[in-house]
Amino acid sequence: MSFRHLDHWAEVPSLVTRLAPPARLLAMVAVALGAALLPMGAWPQMAALLVLVLAFAATARIPAPAFAARLAGPLFLVLLASCAVLVLAPGEPLWALGPIRVTDTGLVRFGSVVGRATPALGAAVVLVSTLRFPELLEALRKLRLPSAVTTALGLSYRLLYTLADEIERLRRAARSRNAGHGAAGRRRTAMGIAAASLVRSYARSERVHRAMLARGYSGALPQLHAQPMDVRSVVVLLAVSAIVLLVVSSAWL
Amino acid sequence: MAALIEVRGLAYRYPDGAQGVRDVDFGVRAGERVAVLGPNGSGKSTLLLHLNGLLLPTDGEVRVADLPVSEETAPAVRRKVGFVFQEPDDQLFLPTVLEDVAFGPLNAGLSAPEAEARARVELRELGLEGQAERAAHHLSGGERRLASLATVLVSEPEILVLDEPTAALDARARRLVVDLLRDRTETLVVATHDLEVALALCPRALVLDGGRLVADLATADLLRDPDLLERHGLSAPLA
Repeated sequence: MSFRHLDHWAEVPSLVTRLAPPARLLAMVAVALGAALLPMGAWPQMAALLVLVLAFAATARIPAPAFAARLAGPLFLVLLASCAVLVLAPGEPLWALGPIRVTDTGLVRFGSVVGRATPALGAAVVLVSTLRFPELLEALRKLRLPSAVTTALGLSYRLLYTLADEIERLRRAARSRNAGHGAAGRRRTAMGIAAASLVRSYARSERVHRAMLARGYSGALPQLHAQPMDVRSVVVLLAVSAIVLLVVSSAWL
Repeated sequence: MAALIEVRGLAYRYPDGAQGVRDVDFGVRAGERVAVLGPNGSGKSTLLLHLNGLLLPTDGEVRVADLPVSEETAPAVRRKVGFVFQEPDDQLFLPTVLEDVAFGPLNAGLSAPEAEARARVELRELGLEGQAERAAHHLSGGERRLASLATVLVSEPEILVLDEPTAALDARARRLVVDLLRDRTETLVVATHDLEVALALCPRALVLDGGRLVADLATADLLRDPDLLERHGLSAPLA
């Protein structure tokens, strides 16, 4: 499995990738928070936030198809989770299929959920696409997320791939002995593999911890490429926050 | 000359009650190269973990450079003893090789630019400069082993402790690792099943069996004693 597949655009030089990771994280959180605070039916404001996110994506030189592909997965889940709103909300029926009726209020609520989710998820896509995972961790650390959380995230990211390889080896070993005939057999094999990987992961975590201690680990993962919070990052962060504030307040006033 | 590593009456019992090692006594002088040999489960890894303070004796004492190994002295001991684990994936836990190699120097208090510079020099010396930005699982078995060695050598320890450094390597990678270790000047303690590697690297051998030290002799003499080898689950190289 490619380790770098998530970090491709983090290597592309751009105004966005030159910003300090905490500034990028906070700016994207501001956009997501702003989107969440918009009232229902604030279409121009939702569009404005989406334009802001798209401008960031374009500045970061993320190709439109790649951006859309990364956005599609989480957005599909949002659509799936919120489509019930279409028929559950009371209001004037617009369209009916037997007992199922789509109401005008339902349509506005559904549109608002999607309209808020799109810039918020887009901001998350820009963030994870332009930030290497260690930088994201460093940003979270700078923002005072507990060290236990950031350390656990960092190790999980690295060891996820080792675990994936280990599971693949176990699956291959099972297949080589013709394991898993029929649905019940496949379930049993899958459970066996899951149990074995769990035990192995535990043993590996012990060994990794020893290897960390052996090299002077004392509770915090030091960061090699700590990018300082420079003036430009602060200015961009303030500008984004101001735009978001303006957009949100224009929707409520 | 006083011993750089002194192990006296060492015993260790695992929390599940299994006896790892017992009554182990030996010393290693500065610059000496010692192989720790024995069959699976003989206590080699358990013994090695004590040299870095990763396990603390249930009984007896381990001293490294005159420091008694304990919870309090463990950080100081670990600055002197570089430990290379059997499985490189356990040792390479950060997103890139460069970050992994810089991990020790950063923990020792070096600034990020200093640590990065040292890590890059070490990677260059081991022929891994092109792999610095890659993830460990993208490396071949031999490269991974070299990278795990780099993570330790970069901190310039006085003592190198290696657990099965040639396990699961092909002939070329095994030769590379042996040549690299042969040229080092640090005190070397190597646990291995591979008697050829032991002979190539270490003039002295400790044989463990059932957690006890059963022989402490010249590696060449051990290889000339088929009975001793046979008794303790070892066998001379086939050719």
